[in-house]
Amino acid sequence: MDDYIKRALEGVSEDAEGCGQTMRGRNVSVVSGNLVGNASFVTHGIGARFCKNGVWGFASDSACTPESAAAVIAAAKENAALLHSRRSKNKPALTNARAAQFTEARPFRDTDQKTLTDFARALDAYIETTYKDLASRSVMIRANCIEKTLRTSEGTFAYQLFPRTYVIVAMSMETADGATVELFDVLGGGEGCFTDYYSDPSLLYPAVDKLHRELAAKKEGVFPSAGERLCIIDSEIAGMVAHEAVGHTVEADLVLAGSVAATNLGKQVASPLISLTDFAHTAFGKRAPLPVFVDDEGTECKDAVIIKDGVLVGYMNNLESAMHFGMEPAGNARAYNFSDEPLVRMRNTALHPGKDKLEDMIASVEDGYYLTKTQNGQADTTGEFMFGITMGYEIKNGKLGRALRDTTISGVAFNMLKTVDMLSDTVSWDFAGYCGKKQPMPVSMGGPAIRCRVNIGGR
Amino acid sequence: MERLTPAARYTLDALKQAGADDAQVSVSEGKTEEFNVDAGEFSLIRSVYSSGASMKIIKNRRKGTVAVNQLDRDTIDTAVAECVAAADSGVEDDALSIASLEENADFKDGALVCDKAAFFDSVIKLTEDIKREYPQIMIEQLIATHFYGKHVLANTNGVLFTEEDGSYNVSVMYSAHDGENATSFNYFDFEFLDPHADILAMDGARTMLDRAVAELQTKPFTGKFVGTAVFSPACLGDLLGIVTGSFTGDLALIEGTSIWKNKLGQQVADDRFTLSVIPHDPRIVCGERITSDGYRSEDYDIIKNGVLNSFCLSEYAANKTGLTRSKSTSGCIGVMPGGENLDKLIAGIEKGILVCRFSGGEPANNGDFSGVAKNSFLIENGKIAYPVSETMISGNMAEMLFHVRGFSAETFCDGSSVLPYAAFDGVTVSGGGAEE
Repeated sequence: MDDYIKRALEGVSEDAEGCGQTMRGRNVSVVSGNLVGNASFVTHGIGARFCKNGVWGFASDSACTPESAAAVIAAAKENAALLHSRRSKNKPALTNARAAQFTEARPFRDTDQKTLTDFARALDAYIETTYKDLASRSVMIRANCIEKTLRTSEGTFAYQLFPRTYVIVAMSMETADGATVELFDVLGGGEGCFTDYYSDPSLLYPAVDKLHRELAAKKEGVFPSAGERLCIIDSEIAGMVAHEAVGHTVEADLVLAGSVAATNLGKQVASPLISLTDFAHTAFGKRAPLPVFVDDEGTECKDAVIIKDGVLVGYMNNLESAMHFGMEPAGNARAYNFSDEPLVRMRNTALHPGKDKLEDMIASVEDGYYLTKTQNGQADTTGEFMFGITMGYEIKNGKLGRALRDTTISGVAFNMLKTVDMLSDTVSWDFAGYCGKKQPMPVSMGGPAIRCRVNIGGR
Repeated sequence: MERLTPAARYTLDALKQAGADDAQVSVSEGKTEEFNVDAGEFSLIRSVYSSGASMKIIKNRRKGTVAVNQLDRDTIDTAVAECVAAADSGVEDDALSIASLEENADFKDGALVCDKAAFFDSVIKLTEDIKREYPQIMIEQLIATHFYGKHVLANTNGVLFTEEDGSYNVSVMYSAHDGENATSFNYFDFEFLDPHADILAMDGARTMLDRAVAELQTKPFTGKFVGTAVFSPACLGDLLGIVTGSFTGDLALIEGTSIWKNKLGQQVADDRFTLSVIPHDPRIVCGERITSDGYRSEDYDIIKNGVLNSFCLSEYAANKTGLTRSKSTSGCIGVMPGGENLDKLIAGIEKGILVCRFSGGEPANNGDFSGVAKNSFLIENGKIAYPVSETMISGNMAEMLFHVRGFSAETFCDGSSVLPYAAFDGVTVSGGGAEE
């Protein structure tokens, strides 16, 4: 594909990029012993985008031939010209440098379907034989890889692989009142192929056992009392604060649309304990969970520092917004598939750790909640956020109490972050999610445990 | 279908030669034309040419499925081999099947050719109308799309359906702004056939923008009460999607976690509540004609006068549970309206909340839910009192369906559903300052 794109882009002087992409995936789902999902997919295609005085044209085709590459580039150029003719922004050409060069050294490695189904069935068999008190159980395996080649009119060449794999186990139990409580967790996995992380299902048994213990506690759980409460948000879900509560509001396209961050640059928006960065490929001295080296506009990826010591210092930008705000682009323009145009997206977004010990944080709360698992979250341009909470505990007089049933927490990010007065000294990452914003996007998010005040739903 | 039908037949033959006892294939081609507006300005025109083939094999009572996006023989041959390997790695399951042959048909519906110029003019008019009538509204993102697709579904029992359709869709995400004061975002979405359509005049669009401007006067709600929640049609649609998934869907019935698993033919809601799947309703744009299992799609009632009439099950889930396959796999739903208009419905509410968007965690299998009431208004003494921020609602979906206060007489159609406002009692409303 790359040769076709290279040839089709020859002589193109406008701001343009061409992308060839292959996406592969294998999915296995065992639900209460039934192999309900046993599937794989492969998609290929070519996409191209042109900029004409501040407006863009895009086109893509699943056909991968020299003719289709030329046709895609011609159609993208035509779309840019059409939009320019009706709604020109009359902006100058993009002046940011985008001539990054990167070639992934690792080859793509697939795992055959039988390895995945055998692993899932073995794990399911362990759960079935070990735990007789479950109303339902499921094991899901995901092993996906995006393989992407990018060229730009300014000379970028980037060949990148984005492999990701993980195992999810979910369980449910019936309560005394006939209701059902459920819980799930991602067990292991990360960037890479399945066999990089998983060899023997028995290595996951301790994690399954822990999940079962938590579910058993939740079965006897109570609803929290609705209202604003002092909470410890565990590091396992602190990434949601980084991603949902803050991250979306500082994506430059949403800033331009009037998000709360538009009027807060340079201002104290959080406790001085808070620093937040969208990491490119290295975080806290280690390879980030889902590293990105060159974005889909051809910009070399760097860390985007968002909040430093409580002050909002930056946004996440694409080339166009970086020019608008006079900021340096850090490579946040990402496209999910060959048929998608790059949007301003997060990569590995995390709150920095503090110095407190989790046990001290819990001990410091007289009456509140310790929230340990989440399921989904949503953001608002006003900074108002929401996460579903699937596991948590009461804290009474500094000690953990009864478990909680499912609930929701919400708050206004820049208000909530000002209430943060303790941060734990360890960071946890969640790498298994997709961010939704016109297109899905694999992202990771992380942070330490946080002591803060939030609204909690309940009865 | 000159390319698709041969591709479907070739794939089925290849699957049979590879040892399939049964096989199904679905092949498609499509073209999307799209206009984007970001932060109030046109930003992008996008054209996407797509194709795809998905295949399912049943071999020795084991299943494998594979999807690819190219239809050349090399790709299909590779996919067939992968599909067989998947089945060989599978588990024997007597519930696996493919559709039986009833009556094949060819379907053609909608706006098959995109009138790009006329559609562009309509979208420009929409943005200009909003700018003129609602200067405080910021279009955060607008996506205007024409999709044309053709599709062949065939199986080794002789089923062969063809389908060709096209429609226009406009989705607008917006918020209101006045200096540094800004509202939560909300959105509307319409599917239609006329490229010259006056989009702002469509069902409820102006009402939603009027409310967004009113939300600039939002106040945080403090305290907690149990009262009546009136859900907007769009919000009701989201909630009912959760109800159908958690209580009547494949996984809930296969896992046995549905609280309605033994309720077929029994009362599960107030007798004024009728929830139907309506792909053939004339107000629905390009509704489903072929189910994903390979049957002709039909309208049906999930709940009729409060009684659970049908689950929403695929053929596999039906075989697995001994229940009946649902007549459609469409998400196009309709709810029977009531006899009073919205104003009269609200006039009877002492204390409650008008919820125009719900942002919540996924409800538990038993229907417990909680989340933020976005773009919402407090109701006091029969009147809308003021727009609220930082307000949460919680309750139980299954219990709520028995506590119907009423449905509005007016319904709203966005091209994929036809829904009224719905008022339910017994919902907990709590604000930011609520303390025990």
